[in-house]
Amino acid sequence: MAEAPRETVETDVLVIGAGGAGMRGAVAAALSGARVTVICKSLLGKAHTVMAEGGMAAALGNVAHLDSWEAHFADTMKGGKLINNWRMAEIHAKEAPERVLELERWGAVFDRTRDGLIHQRPFGAHTYPRLAHIGDRTGLELIRSLQDVLVHTPAVDVHMEVTVASLLTSDGRVAGALAYARADGRLILYRARAILLATGGAGKIYRITSNSWESTGDGTGLAYEAGAQLQDMEFVQFHPTGMVWPPGVRGILVTEGVRGEGGLLRNKEGDRFMEKYDPERMELSARDVVARAINSEVLAGRGSPHGGAFLDITHRSPDFIKSKLPSMYEQFLKLAKVDITKEPMEVAPTIHYYMGGVRVDAETGATNVSGLFAAGEVASGLHGANRLGGNSLSDLLVFGKRAGEAAGAFAGAHGGSAPIDSRQLEQATERLLAPLRRPHGDSPYRLMSELQEVCTKYAPIIREEKGLREGLEKVLELGGRAQLCGTGGPNGRAFNPGWHTAQDLHGMLINAEALFRSAIERKESRGAHARSDYPRLDARWAELNLITEKTPDGMAVRAVENKPLPYELTEVISQSFKRYTPEEIS
Amino acid sequence: MPDKTITLSVTRFDPDLDPEPRQQSYEIPFKDDMVVLDGLNWIKTHLDGSVNYRWSCRMGICGSCGMNVNGTPKLGCSAFLRDYLPGPVVVEPLPNFPVVRDLVIDMSSFMEKLSAVKPWIIREQGAIGTGEFLQTPAQTEQYRQFSMCINCMLCYSACPVIAIEPEFIGPAAIALARRYELDSRDQAGDERLRTITASDGIWDCSFVGECSAVCPKGVDPARAIQQTKFDSTLGVLLPWGGK
Repeated sequence: MAEAPRETVETDVLVIGAGGAGMRGAVAAALSGARVTVICKSLLGKAHTVMAEGGMAAALGNVAHLDSWEAHFADTMKGGKLINNWRMAEIHAKEAPERVLELERWGAVFDRTRDGLIHQRPFGAHTYPRLAHIGDRTGLELIRSLQDVLVHTPAVDVHMEVTVASLLTSDGRVAGALAYARADGRLILYRARAILLATGGAGKIYRITSNSWESTGDGTGLAYEAGAQLQDMEFVQFHPTGMVWPPGVRGILVTEGVRGEGGLLRNKEGDRFMEKYDPERMELSARDVVARAINSEVLAGRGSPHGGAFLDITHRSPDFIKSKLPSMYEQFLKLAKVDITKEPMEVAPTIHYYMGGVRVDAETGATNVSGLFAAGEVASGLHGANRLGGNSLSDLLVFGKRAGEAAGAFAGAHGGSAPIDSRQLEQATERLLAPLRRPHGDSPYRLMSELQEVCTKYAPIIREEKGLREGLEKVLELGGRAQLCGTGGPNGRAFNPGWHTAQDLHGMLINAEALFRSAIERKESRGAHARSDYPRLDARWAELNLITEKTPDGMAVRAVENKPLPYELTEVISQSFKRYTPEEIS
Repeated sequence: MPDKTITLSVTRFDPDLDPEPRQQSYEIPFKDDMVVLDGLNWIKTHLDGSVNYRWSCRMGICGSCGMNVNGTPKLGCSAFLRDYLPGPVVVEPLPNFPVVRDLVIDMSSFMEKLSAVKPWIIREQGAIGTGEFLQTPAQTEQYRQFSMCINCMLCYSACPVIAIEPEFIGPAAIALARRYELDSRDQAGDERLRTITASDGIWDCSFVGECSAVCPKGVDPARAIQQTKFDSTLGVLLPWGGK
């Protein structure tokens, strides 16, 4: 008999994750009358959202008066290669402006136009300047503003440095979660009427990533094990511009804002190579296109000294650069000893974002597990095969609010939380504590680093069947070893980073397996999923999304037809297609 | 081991075992581009998996990895080992906070201080209506630098007043209050000022400016404190008023 949790917390809505989506969701759920408990793995205000730089996309029309929700919708669908959940893209484009204005009314600071309106900057694949921003630290401001709102929203409790190990269900409805406090390792049972997952992505399954240590795909792992469907797991975004040099900072993000403010990409021969790949939009093409372009230049021997491309903004005045891109200026000066007002930066693609995630209802963020909701990067659908820059922060606000309200309403409609299945709880506890009892087990640090190597090597920017199959085999083998892993160090419960790593690894392996299985199935190239053995877009695949789910025989991936676009929205897109390049329409 | 190594002397403290914190030395490979955080990660992966510290973004924006490096509060991700050659580099938890474990401090008092200054827009006529509130670039400039705070706690560690009066509301919280006071959208009047000037400590601040000197984001909390004192003594609110 496994030990019983020492502490039980009863709440109406449990929010897992305190980034932009989690905090916005918590505020929404609380305003709908629910008691809310927010759990975060680190301290409040440190979530991955804080690292977002460029801005949040919303058709406010402050800078380009012609902008409209229709244009934003069409750009998003086109960027996602049309397999987005169109209803999510529609809701997002229509509601993003109000969410940005609301944040402004809550006190967020923005760069402003001369007339005092929120300023908007151009960004890749957005037809108009559309990103509301504050310098290049928009994520920090979003987090800070939401944190300030959260601390004076009644009925919200925040539990910091707590990790969720398993979701508990009862007859297909979510009942609660088994978690532990990182500080002393005590087990906590959360009983909730509804749960909102807002745990972000899984960038850490790769070696070179812009993501923080927290992005270990916890939410997708938890949801999958609780019986929720995942979707689009083959689509992982390489951001075209991560730092390359020195090695210690490899992968750290160089904001797309640099290109938005006029930065030029060149190869070692000095050519603006984007002319070859997207002559119309050049540096401001979609992320998947730019990332592949840099990759191709490097493979052709035209890369920069450390295997990337040059990103040059020196034609702008030093004052302009320092006011528009202060963090980038500081980051390169401090970390790479490069003065970006005088020298070009060296950049290369870095893993940045998960388009895939938990499959949700567009209106509410509801999953197929009753009472379980998801919003933000952990959810899927809005971005399709490739996310546009700036659409993530607005995603967090739009769907964080909707999912929070829906979770609040669900909790209100259900008198109490579902009963806890003691067998389930016992099994979850057993799995969580097992690494502590294996002093000679494999080190979770070593397993994590091997997993990162496998994903980096076998699911790179350009994939092919043989490599994907090999990668899947290796992930499964690592999965087997992880089931027997220890902590790689001491076996105490208090502050045991090795134990935490073993727990993170569990979710990462589910994400990696889903990635390889889905990538093998999608036999075409679309958005972020590019295959050398199927190099073209295949129209038949435009109608299909891949769903990953848990079956008695293990993980299974199957294709489902996506809902056809209604006539009006097809018209909206075809109107805007007139501006697009032939390659994109093919 | 590669040719070049450096020694990190890291504070270890397990409240269940150690009567008080002790230093433990680790020899690690040295590379020119390594920061203190890289060194700690190397130790954790290769030498000793039990070392505890907080970190997250490794790009100086989340404010998790504050630590004392050779006696000065720094972000571990921004402190280059090359600046401390030949070593050893002494890495300790931030001072002026209770130590929970190794380099991990208890900063719950700070979270309370933050909320105490009411860090949100206060409107006399209720909430700002729908639509967009106009704010010119010049108006934004008034408070922009005070909004750069990443809650990293370096200024609290450097503050000589906090060391004596832990109840002092402190540099970052006052800078945050100032950020809202100078915001053209805000109409709090002296509501926040009252909280701050009622706090023990502000009148002891002698404008040493240690807080501003250690700030990794160029915020100037010392200026915020001086401005607040100035506003108060202008007769808006006397320190002893109401007492």
